[in-house]
Amino acid sequence: MRSFHAEVTDSVRLYGDTHLLWFVSPPDMLAATPGQFVMAYAGEGADPLLGRALSLHRVRTTDRRAEFALLFDVVGRGTDWFAHRRPGDLVRMVGPLGRGFEPRERVEHMLLVGGGIGSAPLVWLADELIAQGREVTMILGGRTPEQIFPAELLHPSVELIVTTEDGRLGEQGRVTAPFARLLPWCDQAFTCGPEPMFEALFGTLRDSGLRKPVQGLWEGRMACGMGICYSCAVFPAQGGVKLVCHDGPMFDLRDVYA
Amino acid sequence: MDLSVNLAPRHKVELLLRNPVMTASGTFSNGIEIGKHFDLGALGAIISKGTTIQPRKGNPTPRTVETAAGMINAIGFQNIGVGALISTLCPVWERWDVPAIVNIMGYTLEEYGTLAARLDGVPGVAGLEVNISCPNVEAGGLEFGQDPHHAAAVVREVAGATSLPFLVKLTPSVADVRPIAEAVARAGAHAISVTNTIPAMAIDAKRRRPVIANGFGGLSGPAVKPIAMRNVFLSSSVVDIPVVASGGIMTGLDAVEFIMAGATAVQVGTATFLDPAAPWNILREIEEWCAAEGVDRIEEIRGVARRTD
Repeated sequence: MRSFHAEVTDSVRLYGDTHLLWFVSPPDMLAATPGQFVMAYAGEGADPLLGRALSLHRVRTTDRRAEFALLFDVVGRGTDWFAHRRPGDLVRMVGPLGRGFEPRERVEHMLLVGGGIGSAPLVWLADELIAQGREVTMILGGRTPEQIFPAELLHPSVELIVTTEDGRLGEQGRVTAPFARLLPWCDQAFTCGPEPMFEALFGTLRDSGLRKPVQGLWEGRMACGMGICYSCAVFPAQGGVKLVCHDGPMFDLRDVYA
Repeated sequence: MDLSVNLAPRHKVELLLRNPVMTASGTFSNGIEIGKHFDLGALGAIISKGTTIQPRKGNPTPRTVETAAGMINAIGFQNIGVGALISTLCPVWERWDVPAIVNIMGYTLEEYGTLAARLDGVPGVAGLEVNISCPNVEAGGLEFGQDPHHAAAVVREVAGATSLPFLVKLTPSVADVRPIAEAVARAGAHAISVTNTIPAMAIDAKRRRPVIANGFGGLSGPAVKPIAMRNVFLSSSVVDIPVVASGGIMTGLDAVEFIMAGATAVQVGTATFLDPAAPWNILREIEEWCAAEGVDRIEEIRGVARRTD
């Protein structure tokens, strides 16, 4: 948990409103795992003030150095500032932070479900799971095709299912339909996206009667990202209160909703 | 260079800090998370999250929103309660080489007394900070800290229940901070913290509702620094107990300015959300400023901005 300046190596508007930045990886980042995040700070002064919590999207090693990527929707002043960074620019960050996905050992069939920009951390998770020799099926859903991560940039071994609400790409509808179909197949599922999607997935899981572990990556509104401001509370149905940044952002859906 | 300060010079139990940099309540949790990565022993003191008698889950979300050069929060005093604090946190603090001050908040006078009494003599607790920016449920919801008599009553309740040195954290939400500061000092506070967050609000035009679930919250960050500065300047002109400044301190120079306005020590709050190393960076910058300016003792500059000659 250290503040550092990361140098941009590549900056591209990848699709729709979604931007991709690659950075030189400082030593702290090499131990990061899929599902962990950074707090990234826009601008130089006190405005905007707070960091933006962004999931780590991917890592790569070239012959010269290790790099990591952030993939984000440009939604406001902070993300717009990030999107205007060019190779050689520096972005201050704190990280890696939080508890990422925890794939079980010795299970084969992995189902990944992403809604909108929720695909960002799942792309790297898929890379890792396939490198471990597992089978990965990924469901990506969006309102329109412009919200869907490009299939050609996924690991070629990923089996991809796309859903769009307007039906212009893939299956017309939401991710819950293919999720219900694939639940019997999968050994473990991982998801990232808006909370209403988590609730719908949990409803599908409960109705199926299957006891499959589903890990969700929560997106809380955070000021600090490191467990000291108490902004990003989650209230599990069983009682108590958890912090997304400190206790998560990965929670088993059952631990929150059941 | 001597940066040490005493926050309770006239109390039989002193509150000695090796330097004037403290962490502000509610911006450092209870020190455990950041203590894993940084040397807490280098700081003047740490202040716990606001602690109530019963554990509290806090407010629904959203609890915070970014504003121009600041943020509004309404966490709702999520905390583990004084019992769990004594059994789980105090033994940890006892091993640490930094004074740990417990921030307490009651909903009635009696609760303040109960909290102070329970923390009295607990190893690991160096002092208390009393948050009086809480609605007095026995007096129609006006905050204790908005009325000199009610504020003084809280101070007497705490003073009668503990031998620990204690600070009283004042609210900026008054017409004039001076009568409150005077009343609190006269009633026996050993130091005052100036100031708490400023009541504030943000509206989400898209949802046509307040951004924060609680509606209102407290503004902090660089945006509030000039307001806090004035309150530090005014309150330190009417009391002879130490004034601890808080409000938008982001750099060592911010801290130096507050000390020039009359502060004995400073609390770093929102800055830590941006960089967990902020309290240490600010301390280093104070030392660098003093070295560059030929200041050997931090006392030399305290209140110099109030001089009229």
